[in-house]
Amino acid sequence: MASIHLQNIEKKYGAFVGVQNMSLEIADEEFLVLLGPSGCGKTTTMRMIAGLELPTGGKIVIGGEEMTEIDARDRDVAMVFQGYALYPNMSIYENIRFPLRMRGIPKAEHDARIRQAADMVELGSFLDRKPGALSGGQRQRAALARAVVRQPQVFLMDEPLSNLDAKLRQSMRVQIKHMQRQLKVTTVYVTHDQIEAMTLADRIVIMNKGAIQQVGTPDQIYSDPANTFVAGFIGSPPMNLIEGVAQNGRFVAPGVTAACPGYVQGRVTLGVRPEDCHVGGDNVQGMVYGVEPTGDTTYLTVLAGTKKIEVKAAREYRSDIDVPISITFDPAHLYFFGEDGQRIRGAA
Amino acid sequence: MRTDAPSVPAKGVAQAIPKPAPRRRSPALRRAFPYILLAPALAYLLVITLYPGLFAIYQSLFVVKFLTWEWTGFGNYSAILQDREFWAALGNTALIGAISLTLQTVIALAIAYFAYRDPFIRGWRIVYLMPMLFMPSAVAFIWKLAFNDGRVISDLLGRLGLIEGNIDWLGSIPLARLTLIVADVWQWTPFLFIIFVAALQGQDQEIEEAARLDGASWPSIFWNISLPMMRPVIVVAITLRGIDITTMFTNVFVMTQGTPGGATETMSYFIYRQGFRMFNFGYASAASVLMLILTVIIAQTVVKRAFHSGKK
Amino acid sequence: MAKARKSRGESMLLRYLVLGGWALVCLLPILWFLSIGFRPRTEVITPQPIYWPTFSLDAWHLLMSDWPIAKYLRNSVIAVAGSVVIDLMLAIPAAYALARYEFKGREDIGFYILSTRMMAPAIVAVPIFFLFKTLGLLDSVWALMLIYAAINLSLVTWIIRSYMLDIPKELEDAARTDGAGDLTILREIIVPACLPGIITAAVIAAIFAINEFLFTLLIASTSNAYTMSVALANFTGGSDGIIYNAIALVSFIAFVPILILVILIQKHLSRGLTMGAVKG
Repeated sequence: MASIHLQNIEKKYGAFVGVQNMSLEIADEEFLVLLGPSGCGKTTTMRMIAGLELPTGGKIVIGGEEMTEIDARDRDVAMVFQGYALYPNMSIYENIRFPLRMRGIPKAEHDARIRQAADMVELGSFLDRKPGALSGGQRQRAALARAVVRQPQVFLMDEPLSNLDAKLRQSMRVQIKHMQRQLKVTTVYVTHDQIEAMTLADRIVIMNKGAIQQVGTPDQIYSDPANTFVAGFIGSPPMNLIEGVAQNGRFVAPGVTAACPGYVQGRVTLGVRPEDCHVGGDNVQGMVYGVEPTGDTTYLTVLAGTKKIEVKAAREYRSDIDVPISITFDPAHLYFFGEDGQRIRGAA
Repeated sequence: MRTDAPSVPAKGVAQAIPKPAPRRRSPALRRAFPYILLAPALAYLLVITLYPGLFAIYQSLFVVKFLTWEWTGFGNYSAILQDREFWAALGNTALIGAISLTLQTVIALAIAYFAYRDPFIRGWRIVYLMPMLFMPSAVAFIWKLAFNDGRVISDLLGRLGLIEGNIDWLGSIPLARLTLIVADVWQWTPFLFIIFVAALQGQDQEIEEAARLDGASWPSIFWNISLPMMRPVIVVAITLRGIDITTMFTNVFVMTQGTPGGATETMSYFIYRQGFRMFNFGYASAASVLMLILTVIIAQTVVKRAFHSGKK
Repeated sequence: MAKARKSRGESMLLRYLVLGGWALVCLLPILWFLSIGFRPRTEVITPQPIYWPTFSLDAWHLLMSDWPIAKYLRNSVIAVAGSVVIDLMLAIPAAYALARYEFKGREDIGFYILSTRMMAPAIVAVPIFFLFKTLGLLDSVWALMLIYAAINLSLVTWIIRSYMLDIPKELEDAARTDGAGDLTILREIIVPACLPGIITAAVIAAIFAINEFLFTLLIASTSNAYTMSVALANFTGGSDGIIYNAIALVSFIAFVPILILVILIQKHLSRGLTMGAVKG
């Protein structure tokens, strides 16, 4: 299979910069997820790896060969699309067979490989149907089978699950991860859904406005965010970001005070995850704004000054609104970000 | 996952994939590709439109008598612009076309309004389509027979007590024009009807329903909501139909031959008569060029706008 | 309530008066013309119109004996079918370029193609006549085929383009990563996916070609190349005048296949007639 190197790639559309000066190493057999809001350049990056779009600058190397200007058809990458992109006039069997035909694989091998691929995604009994006669989940599995059948160097998946309902998404997620581990094919997966990213990825690349914000394992991304963008994007509900002033080891914002390391000074942003906030104590003095029991937990929104702070409270916690409340932060899990949004770290 | 399925595809098979030499298309070829796709169609259209256009301009500068071409410069043009028959043909085309197009639009809108929510719409549509599916020359004969040769219209009007005796439809200027209008309306109202019904059926039902809940009546919904929403469609349909009407030829050729006294001669028939009856090819070409200029002006203004507004 | 029901009943009455009335306007001339086709010639033009004629196959016998209907029919079929094939071969790649590629001049080229549809046949009639005369193509079915193809090319291109615009771009991307080249994608993915549009375009082009009158009249100067449409207009028995019963019969012979074709593409008709500008 293959590793992928992106060297300073760049994509401009006239004056608009889609992807700027991006460098990334993707290891052989790795499952890499590109995560970010819509318009962040993640899909453009993937399409450049596929060869569907050419970068306006930089180099793309796949499996040790430079591919920057090679046609998509010759890159030996398989792609799974958000809308499945099954050929509507062909049966599922013909759909899965199409890449084999296009790549001149001997006809004698076709049938066995198609059936093997279809069995992998449990679609063996639907081979005669047209895509229109399948459900969304079945179509997505057919698209996976079409990608798997030719054993490409790289899988590219562009939001493959976003058209499915929540329940199906979960089971497909497991299936995709299982398949990737089994086939050991380098995979790049684009999504805006952080749950998908956290559950699937070996490493996550978080992008915003055409640039990489952070690269790391799901654990690193969650527990060691590099900047406010990453901190605010990951987690559900996301990290509370409270703007205030730090002076002499003390962070102060309307209704909020907290201890902070001495090297944190001036206008900063305090980050704290809802699960690191607890009812009681003295970090926050505010009013209850809302209480949302979800069954296994209860989310509490506290209004401190004009800022709403999310707290993950005990399951049985209940309260009326507009009642005074105080909150403490877990001092070991506080994050501070400078005015530029970057993490402030102590001298290592 | 099924446990009896092979867990990993055999690696040996994977290695059997022949690796084609990677293709690198030159940027020039990549850029040229759409033009290559378009080239045959464009070449064909250029031969069939640009060549005749240039030929007509060239020929219009000559007096053509069978095989001899005699240079006359703008002689044909100055003659044409003083030719009462030319101006009459232009006026007839505009008058007959305008009345016919108005009638067709109103009738098509009215029946589309009543038909589109009707449970039998599929049946109505086929019936209403039928006149359009007859060859135009056949339709011309239907009405030639009905009005003139067979005297059916006169007879029916007489039985209704509207007239006495027989009307000579080609004997009066308005009546002769009326026969052309009737034939055109009968054959081509379906064209507009089909498009209007499709547009009405394609409209968002929720808007209509919201208006109904607000207490609006059907006619007022149609007038205040459906019609404005259909505007782009109406514009496209009328533009297409209007262009076809201005080229009206077959009905004139079969039914009236321009009589009485040129009152039903259209532009197309004028060019035909000058060229192929009187063999004034240079003169006919000059008329063609003038009509071409008119067409280009209309195309550049009305049609361009219609087809842009017709798209989302 | 009662008032509402009453006004609803009135509007239903009005609706069926209008719809039924127009249906009669459409149908009565057709039925009457059909009766012309099956009556003796002596009952066509009479001082008093005859509404209940004697049944007769005179027209049919005339067609079979004196009139080479088979030849005219064959001319029509060859010229029309050939022109549709030419149109599809030229229009499919052109429509693909217009629908799918970004290139300089795309809007202008597209509009130029559209605008050829606006050109009155009479404008180009004289030059085309001379062109075909020079090429020695006057009085030939091949010339008609070329002309019909030219008349309909813009229409066919625009209809197919409209349907191609509806095909998700992902489909092409998928085919490309699967290893297909541009022409393979066009042949194996795009064409099958917009087949309804291609069929619609072909049917509408065929109808317009069958109906074409002016060019056919000029180019088919003798009965050698007559098609049904022009043969009709020349169906006059010299001093006998116009032979209406035969004309009626011939027009129905042409009408039936067209009706069947149109019913087949009924759903797509409005979109086709507006060259894709109106989606039905």
